[in-house]
Amino acid sequence: MRLILGLLAVAALIAGWFLLMSGQRKTTPITLTFHAHMGDEPLVYDQFVYDNPGGGGQFRVRDFRFYLSNLSLTQGEKSYAEPDSYHLLRFDNEDKTHSITLPEVPLKSVDTVQFLIGVDPAANGSIEVRGDLDPNSQMAWNWEVGYKFVVVEGALKQGDDVSPLVYHVGFSENAREVEFMLPPDVLVSDDPEVHLIVDLAKFFDGTAQIDMQALPSVKFNRADAEILADNYAIMITLAF
Amino acid sequence: MRWVLLILAAAGLAVAGWMNWDRTRHPVATPIADFSAPFVFGRFAVPPENPLTEEAFALGRHLFYDPILSGNNQVSCATCHVQALAFTDGRAKSPSLSGGELDFSAMSLANLLWGQERFFWDGRATSLEEQALIPIQHPDEMGQDIDALMAELEASGTYRRMFRQAYGAVTPENTAKALATFMRMLISSESKYDKYLRGEARLTAQEEHGRKLFMAHPDTKVSLRGGNCIDCHSQFLTSGFRDALDGFSNNGLDPDDTLPDGLMAVTGNPAHKGFFKVPTLRNIAVTAPYMHDGRFETLEDVMAHYNDGIVVSDTLSPLILEADNAPEAAKGTVGLRMTPEEIQAIIAFLHTLTDEAFLTNPKFSDPFEGGS
Repeated sequence: MRLILGLLAVAALIAGWFLLMSGQRKTTPITLTFHAHMGDEPLVYDQFVYDNPGGGGQFRVRDFRFYLSNLSLTQGEKSYAEPDSYHLLRFDNEDKTHSITLPEVPLKSVDTVQFLIGVDPAANGSIEVRGDLDPNSQMAWNWEVGYKFVVVEGALKQGDDVSPLVYHVGFSENAREVEFMLPPDVLVSDDPEVHLIVDLAKFFDGTAQIDMQALPSVKFNRADAEILADNYAIMITLAF
Repeated sequence: MRWVLLILAAAGLAVAGWMNWDRTRHPVATPIADFSAPFVFGRFAVPPENPLTEEAFALGRHLFYDPILSGNNQVSCATCHVQALAFTDGRAKSPSLSGGELDFSAMSLANLLWGQERFFWDGRATSLEEQALIPIQHPDEMGQDIDALMAELEASGTYRRMFRQAYGAVTPENTAKALATFMRMLISSESKYDKYLRGEARLTAQEEHGRKLFMAHPDTKVSLRGGNCIDCHSQFLTSGFRDALDGFSNNGLDPDDTLPDGLMAVTGNPAHKGFFKVPTLRNIAVTAPYMHDGRFETLEDVMAHYNDGIVVSDTLSPLILEADNAPEAAKGTVGLRMTPEEIQAIIAFLHTLTDEAFLTNPKFSDPFEGGS
């Protein structure tokens, strides 16, 4: 009899534990969906439909991609850093979007999202394959410099004259930290998704305005690269 | 005496039973054990439904070299993919069964586990398993009816046994899997460049100059000279890139009005017109002639094309159109405008990609000639 009572007590304790735990979320799933835009509209590839912001002519985009790394999420004093957090964001798909899903963030909720546009100096100087970092990929560059962080390629059309546009921005000093406070109600659903707009127009017309005729390419010139880095630092915004 | 007979009978039954069981059971093939790949080649993926096994490799190698695969029993895969030529055939375009020539040049088969996961110059196959059966059935390549081939293989006790040990039944699917396994194992990683990357060899001053040029996109603004090869050929694999369709490009061979469809024939996207698969440059010194149609006979011809022979078309890579080592505007030509010394340095570097061990590896050779 005493044994049965003892067993029942243990069972009740276990049941109680599960009841308590089920009401309390220990981890949070989160999806960050990035939408590539040019201004207010989704990005259109391969068509001369955009005006050169700083000069004459129209331009088209054939490629736009960038590294997003060191993603970390914060709730109050607690934070979670995704391990091997190197994402290559590309938008050459039907929706012009790229999603990053973290199914189990070990936080009860998330109020701040932080990441780098670019690659941190340690990873940038390494040929180790981590996350989407791949030294045999198109983002690999000149190893005295590291990876390309942001790539935009296309062409500028002035009358019948078509000339190439090549913007490859790298150098460790051009990684830019970005931080967003999430509104309190954004994570209440069971499968929360945070939407962010990546506005390519800001890349050419942000802190500085670019005339593509005067500056058709940026590669290894550090001053030019910094100008574009200051522009892409503000190209991502939260969408509501 | 009776006991001995009984025991012998029992043993006989056991052996017969085991033999029957062995014939019908699911094959237990041997995983390829000593398989390793250079760290710098990066990630690769083997389809889980076709793991690399010794039995599949042995079967694939036999099939690869056996003219039984063709309708007239005279053409094998190895007819157009010769080991000593890094599995090319030395021709601009391979001969067609009907007497003409095929549309494309035979591609080198090396390091297919890495780089672009689409096969053929226009990327029409999305796996090696899919690729393997296409030339066999193509009327101008091997002209074989797949059911007739299965009957021929089934009639051979050797092939029945090899299929059973590798996969089970003689089927088109298992034929494709075996050929894919053989091709996946064609790994070239003993060139001078590989030894240099492992710290086992030094490049000459000219080769090192060529390597630096290979890896650099030119930028006159900071006086950086470059051959721009790395914009399409990854630095360690020297093949096209793996991601999505990054391993295809229009490299300025033809003007818009004669530009072939290339990748556009597969994707339907006009932005892909004239795109062809960026090939590996491993063993490039032995795989002449060059380009998808074999139009260039020598590496000098190829370098001349990139140096001042680029033909502009709408889908030409902006990276090629923009890459120029000379600060002043070009007059009527498009290209890298490097010096003859720089061109020779790049060619010297390309020769460091030749892997004699690969070209003569007995494991990759014809099993019907001597060893097996």
